[in-house]
Amino acid sequence: MAAWDLSVTVEDLGPDAPPIVISVTSDLHIGRVILDVVQKTQLQRDWSDHALWWEQKQQWLLRTAWTLEKCGIHADAKLVLTPQHKPLQLGLPNGVTVRLCACFSRAVFHTVVEICKVLNIRHPEELSLLRPVEVKKKKKDKDHVQNIYDLTDVSLTSDSIPCLYNGMPVHFTDSPKAEDIYKMLSMCQPSPSPEALAKMYRPASIVDKTHIHTRWLDSSRTLMQQGVQQDDTLWLRFKYNTFYDLEPKYDAVRLTQLYEQARWAILLEDIDCTEEEMMLFGALQYHISKLAQSESQNRVSGIEDLDCALQSLELKLEGDKSGTTDMIENMTAPELNDYLKIFRPKRLTLKGYKQYWFKFKDTSISYYKNQEERFGEPIQQLNLKGSDVSPDVNVAGQKFCIKLLIPAPEGMNELYLRCEDEQQYSQWMAACRLGSKGLTLADSSFQREKKSIQSFLSMQRSNSGDQSAQTSENINTFSLLSPRYQKKYKAKQLTPRILDSYQNVARLSMTEAILKFLQIWQALPDFGISYFMVRFKGSRKDEVLGIANNRLIRIDLGVGDVVKTWRYSNMRQWNVNWDIRQVAIEFDGNINMAFGCVTADCKIVHEYIGGYIFMSTRGRDRSDTLNEELFHKLTGGHEVL
Amino acid sequence: MDDIDAMFSDLLGEMDLLTQSLGVEDVRPPSPKKEVNLSVGFTDLNESLLELEDNDLDALMADLMADLDATEKLAAEKKAAAKDPHPTLENLHLPSPDHASVPAPPLPPAHRASSAENEEQAKADKIKLALEKLKEAKVKKLVVKVEMTNGSSKTLMVDERQTVRDVLDNLFEKTHCDCNVDWCLYETNPELQTERGFEDHENLVEPLSAWTRDSENKVLFREQEDKYAVFKNPQNFYLWKKDKKALKDMKDKDKELLLEENFCGSSIIVPDLEGALYLKEDGKKSWKQRYFLLRASGIYYVPKGKTKTSRDLVSLVNFDNVNVYYAKEYKAKYKAPTDFCFILKHPQIQKESQYIKYLCCDDHRAMTLWVTGIRVAKYGIALYENYKTAVKRSSASSSWTDRINSTQSTPSPTPKAKAANGHPLPPPPLMDVLPPPPPDPVMPPPPPLPNKGGLPPPPPPSSVTKNRGGALPPAPVEDFPPPPPLDDGELPPDFMPPPPPAAGVGFYLHGGEALPPPPPDPVGLPLAPPPPGPPPPPPPPPPVGAPAPRPVLPAKREGPAPPKRTTPGLSAPSGGDFMSELMVAMQKKRVQQ
Repeated sequence: MAAWDLSVTVEDLGPDAPPIVISVTSDLHIGRVILDVVQKTQLQRDWSDHALWWEQKQQWLLRTAWTLEKCGIHADAKLVLTPQHKPLQLGLPNGVTVRLCACFSRAVFHTVVEICKVLNIRHPEELSLLRPVEVKKKKKDKDHVQNIYDLTDVSLTSDSIPCLYNGMPVHFTDSPKAEDIYKMLSMCQPSPSPEALAKMYRPASIVDKTHIHTRWLDSSRTLMQQGVQQDDTLWLRFKYNTFYDLEPKYDAVRLTQLYEQARWAILLEDIDCTEEEMMLFGALQYHISKLAQSESQNRVSGIEDLDCALQSLELKLEGDKSGTTDMIENMTAPELNDYLKIFRPKRLTLKGYKQYWFKFKDTSISYYKNQEERFGEPIQQLNLKGSDVSPDVNVAGQKFCIKLLIPAPEGMNELYLRCEDEQQYSQWMAACRLGSKGLTLADSSFQREKKSIQSFLSMQRSNSGDQSAQTSENINTFSLLSPRYQKKYKAKQLTPRILDSYQNVARLSMTEAILKFLQIWQALPDFGISYFMVRFKGSRKDEVLGIANNRLIRIDLGVGDVVKTWRYSNMRQWNVNWDIRQVAIEFDGNINMAFGCVTADCKIVHEYIGGYIFMSTRGRDRSDTLNEELFHKLTGGHEVL
Repeated sequence: MDDIDAMFSDLLGEMDLLTQSLGVEDVRPPSPKKEVNLSVGFTDLNESLLELEDNDLDALMADLMADLDATEKLAAEKKAAAKDPHPTLENLHLPSPDHASVPAPPLPPAHRASSAENEEQAKADKIKLALEKLKEAKVKKLVVKVEMTNGSSKTLMVDERQTVRDVLDNLFEKTHCDCNVDWCLYETNPELQTERGFEDHENLVEPLSAWTRDSENKVLFREQEDKYAVFKNPQNFYLWKKDKKALKDMKDKDKELLLEENFCGSSIIVPDLEGALYLKEDGKKSWKQRYFLLRASGIYYVPKGKTKTSRDLVSLVNFDNVNVYYAKEYKAKYKAPTDFCFILKHPQIQKESQYIKYLCCDDHRAMTLWVTGIRVAKYGIALYENYKTAVKRSSASSSWTDRINSTQSTPSPTPKAKAANGHPLPPPPLMDVLPPPPPDPVMPPPPPLPNKGGLPPPPPPSSVTKNRGGALPPAPVEDFPPPPPLDDGELPPDFMPPPPPAAGVGFYLHGGEALPPPPPDPVGLPLAPPPPGPPPPPPPPPPVGAPAPRPVLPAKREGPAPPKRTTPGLSAPSGGDFMSELMVAMQKKRVQQ
């Protein structure tokens, strides 16, 4: 067989090095070619991850047993010997960028699986990569120097599920640096400043929302084939809005990142919500970042933790033994006693507050003429359970009132309690809030409630005065809302409203709060819809197709209304005509529809639909293994071979 | 029996005493305050006790007895353990005379001072026990009269820890109905002309406590198709925009899928209802049409001149503190545009008020959609759990074995719980065990029973209920010697003729399913699989007492039963007062130290 020259560029020699030329015959195996090239470079290193990339054809030559002839390679081929894993800048949902080694030689779907294994995110099929939105660089962009976390040297031990050590996957415990990265991954990030938020790109219309989805990478092709270069930046995001088996025990990173993605979607108005919902989202963010702060402050090593736990356990046991006095103590419910002023608004009465001696016990307020009569019959006793408690406070004006709406058979009794100062107010307010939930002062959350009321008061004080007076302890309430609602309110109005919602969530743990946030997010009517600009067959104008986890919706651009809904459960089959880039879908009852994609690639839409159908098959076979083959079958189209 | 009578008169006497002692407070105008509630409760108990039929009393009495036994035992134990009474408790005044009637008061007066160290422990234990008992005594109980579909009523003792599900199970046993998932407890308020089905997970005592003392409200036990309609036909709610024919032809597989999508994900999805409704303006008489939307976070409307985008919506109400009620005949009452109205109000509100939101729909379908949608939004997953439990319950009743099991597992209020008067109170499940099993209505029509004359086949349940109205010939009273208090002696006759084991096994396998396949062998034809334990005894003799408990009511209620007020009597609350006095005593003691 005739020998001919094959030139191979070796990346490791540097960009300017000339290609290495070796003499080959057509029946030479790819593996042999690599060996010859490596020998010729005379470099000593680990070549095991390297493979040949055929530039003209944009494809990898991964089958080392194939001959050059079988691959169709002739003398004019430009081959590059390059590592299959290259570093990549990965923007995470929480806004942080990590640098890690990603696989450039296998389908993106697999690349994501590998990335998620490093990051310790379960169910990688729900995530994918997309090209970032280009930021117009301003000349004086100082804060662009962003901290990038390096995970390139993290090595995974085996293919099995990462075992946990100290609550962390083993591969993060090698160095303090890696531990920090894990902390970053699994802890919520502080809220952005309102100014920064205002500067960020927000989709203004449904058309804008279609743009983001044109950026998804093709899951069935490799990064290299899609023109991604070493050290390029890509975003990792949850793509399919159907989150399978969220389990706080294993999903620390997954939950945190999902929460971050949800939070940004809400802050950047990617998904619409009502004012009430926004206040609740705000309250939850406030609560979560407070907890995150205190957690990072009190972080003690595991052993100390254990000691503490043991100690308290001992105390508990002892207490149980000789605890009768304790028990009596517990039985005598704590009370609040003080002079307060009360006012009942009635028709045709002027505002007049009257002072009485007040007692708060269990869930009731009783009041007496004065302190001396406190053992007698109260003038009135009010059970706060089920009542509506709201603040009527003006810090600057030193007005600290509690507005109570107490249910009664005839309706709601409205009355106001006026406190002297912040201290008194926070105590009584906390008591009222607990009482309205049927909890007593003995409840462990009383102190926390009191503290949060105080911190909200101080927030109001700092907000009303100096905007910039912000310590790390304090959180700017504006940073909890989307710009639209920021504009609507003054800080003075906003703080009480968030506090109002906050009382419903203040008792949640970090995980519970995150889950609650995700729940409310998922319950929003527009949740989980990915928009695409399409043109339906037979229609002359562009319309929007929404793809959700259970249905497709057709949205009229003019009105913005849903025109029609098709559910996957009625779907017979769908086909893609790759030549005219048209998707045709047939539903039960001989309903056919077809559309061409206007902005996004047809493959993305096809993959979205197939992806959701894949997601719905999970859990049926009860095995936890990811059926990669099925995914490609459903999403690949004819391009995958 | 004499004992019981004596004890019962004792009990009544004490109640009278209590009522009198509280009479002073009674003068005060009723207001929603706690202590007043107490006195109201007492008078009501007395009242409702008077209203009770004899047989009801008998039943209650049986419960009381059972619990008394338990307490006696406990008390005896305690006596043995506590040789050294706590000296510090001498000055404790037991506020209610009732404790005298309990064999061993929890805190016997001190006889001798103690100094020995080792006695401290006993002392401590005793206090603990006493405190625990006091806690138990605090459990609130109501005597509730439940009206049946035919106008008759049943009286139950319900304690505050019991859920509506527990009470329903209790009623299933008492009424031998078919136990299907539609049975529910309904609250009606004639003053507001509203009604609402209690959800199975709710505690019954709490909403009933909100009734005023002169309330005309009632609790009804009836089948209500809309109770779980959203789970039986989810498409009607989640795909309400589609045309009716498509909804009707929905395949079961698709229904399941809908349920899975909306109730089994990490978040409950609320039906996306929207449409024009009429709202009665606060305090005004006019009804104004607005465009409303239902979201998980509440009901919103589109303000004038705005679109229905989320950011513009105005919240009408969120569901944290309100319940949804069907409203009847508001066309006449409030000049509503139609009679398809519902209201949202705080459960405490019992009368017309500006704090009630009145809404009016165009038709019945819209009203059902909205009320159900609001329930889904308010209760979320709890509603689905309720449904699953209800389905289990109804299919369980198709198998006798399952039935026994389920009865046994009925959460039983602990026998430690005590009534206000200090008498131990009845654990309702005691009654549960007793009534003979109704033939399973879900099953295919039972082939002729082989035991000719061996056992009169129990009447089919449906007919029982119908008979209640008075169709049943008034049974001569002497036929029914005052039914023996429901006790264990009753049990044996209740068992159905035990089938041959072989036939039973096959049946048992299907016990959990709603529709068991036809029994394999007509001879074995059991209504139920064999009792799990001992080998089946020969067909039992015709039970003498078995049918007795049931017909008692119809017999006595014969004739037009006047509509009874179902005022719940508050029967337990002296605990609270007692507690506080104990506290005072303790505090004083500590101060002295």
